[in-house]
Amino acid sequence: MKGPEISIRVTDLTLRFPVYGVDAKSLKKHLAAITVGGKLGRTGMGATEVTALSNINLQLKSGDRLGLIGHNGSGKTTLLRALAGAYEPDEGTIDVHGQIAAMLDLNLGIDPSATGLDNIRLRGRIAGLSAKEIEERMQEIAEFTGLGPFLAMPLKTYSAGMQARLAFAVATAVHADVILMDEWIAVGDADFQKIAHKRILELMERAGILVLASHDLELIRLYCNKVMRIESGVASKVMDVKKLDELLAAA
Amino acid sequence: MQSVQHMVRTGRRGPMHEFSMAFADLRASLDRIGLAWSLAKHDIVSRYRGSILGPFWITLSMGLMVAGIGFLYANLFKVPVNEFIPYVALGIVVWGMIANVIIEGCGTFVQAAGILSQSSLPMFTFVWRTVMRNVINLMHHLVIIVGVLVYYDHWRQTDVLMGLLGLLLLLLNISWISLAAGIASARFRDIPQIVGSVVQFAMFMTPVFWLPGGRLLDHAVLLLNPFYHLLEVVRAPLLGNPVDVRTYIFMVILAVVGWAGAFTTFALTRRRIVHYL
Repeated sequence: MKGPEISIRVTDLTLRFPVYGVDAKSLKKHLAAITVGGKLGRTGMGATEVTALSNINLQLKSGDRLGLIGHNGSGKTTLLRALAGAYEPDEGTIDVHGQIAAMLDLNLGIDPSATGLDNIRLRGRIAGLSAKEIEERMQEIAEFTGLGPFLAMPLKTYSAGMQARLAFAVATAVHADVILMDEWIAVGDADFQKIAHKRILELMERAGILVLASHDLELIRLYCNKVMRIESGVASKVMDVKKLDELLAAA
Repeated sequence: MQSVQHMVRTGRRGPMHEFSMAFADLRASLDRIGLAWSLAKHDIVSRYRGSILGPFWITLSMGLMVAGIGFLYANLFKVPVNEFIPYVALGIVVWGMIANVIIEGCGTFVQAAGILSQSSLPMFTFVWRTVMRNVINLMHHLVIIVGVLVYYDHWRQTDVLMGLLGLLLLLLNISWISLAAGIASARFRDIPQIVGSVVQFAMFMTPVFWLPGGRLLDHAVLLLNPFYHLLEVVRAPLLGNPVDVRTYIFMVILAVVGWAGAFTTFALTRRRIVHYL
């Protein structure tokens, strides 16, 4: 492939969430602030800022499979969303070369009353495939889900594992170079784990980048060759996955 | 298939940078306009799944309204039915489009929260989705317009070309209103209710199903009412009436000023919208 190498470069990334309280969302507060002449002060603007990520530096190149670990709310998913381009940094830069496929939420673009096939079309469109490309790959995607006749049923009849199969099949049909994955991948059954495993290995052969957030250390050891720990928005250095135990002990 | 894509996201770098990022968003949405169309089509299909008439249900209820109001008001105001019904039919159908694009605009970003918070899809895609969804609905309602114009033998006077130009001006204007409503509704949860009331109020102040005549003809209630011009720019040519040149001037100025305002708001709030949701 021509052009720049597949890479992710994050420099001094800081991301703050403005939390708009339920109260602050009401127009009344704003109007009140105007009429009373700003006496309400800080509650008038209503937004408290939470620093979700601070000063993250990260460089990944083809073949890197990074595992993100950290407690709930430490900023793993936020980092994935920022890498996916959904959250804009407040400071710093995110620079990603390569087609990104984000598998963060099972319910992305899902219509529960539409059939599995329609949902494949919808998700495929959102993921960046053209209508023609979807029809061309429909057979392949349908086979990969292993859902067979269930694809003609509305999605609301699916179990969480079945939904995961569908989501995973579509997301990886995009020939992505960069895969961002939150840990829901673990919901599938053993069969599915096996084919998903094969898919991820295929991706690695294409020399892509994988970023996986998980609490499951075995999963991290299985797929990743590098690991980074995030604690309250502050990241550790990127380390070799063999040093995972050291990293855990250090905390 | 695209080769390697490149995505850069940075912190704030001054207003010029915000504007160029907003333009990039707009351009990306136009490059993938097919996506907005697919989403709009899907919305329609999914809203009416399992229903026999589908979007024609709304067409049917609009048709009933046209017949009811048409005959009643024609008698009350003592105007000929064959003049009045085409007028009301166009009024109700075009008004439905104006009102729905603006009202549904309130949900543009709120409903896309899931997609926006985990992908880099252009935000404008969802604005076009709202507009296109209503264009699809309008195409269903064309049945009423064509039916009425043919039945009352009015179609010979119809100026389709000017009507299409009017529709273009109409879409240009209601899409910025829709965008503005979308941003405001994402931030303030009171906005959809306010927009709903304003649109309803506007319906009664605008000659949707009454004929302006007498001293009202050049009155400020009409001339300064943007909804009047939005409606007339499409309705008049389709009825074969000339469009007042002031209406075109009003439409163009409204589009330029409106887009400048709405786009500026978008550029300044773009990176925050996803956090509002």
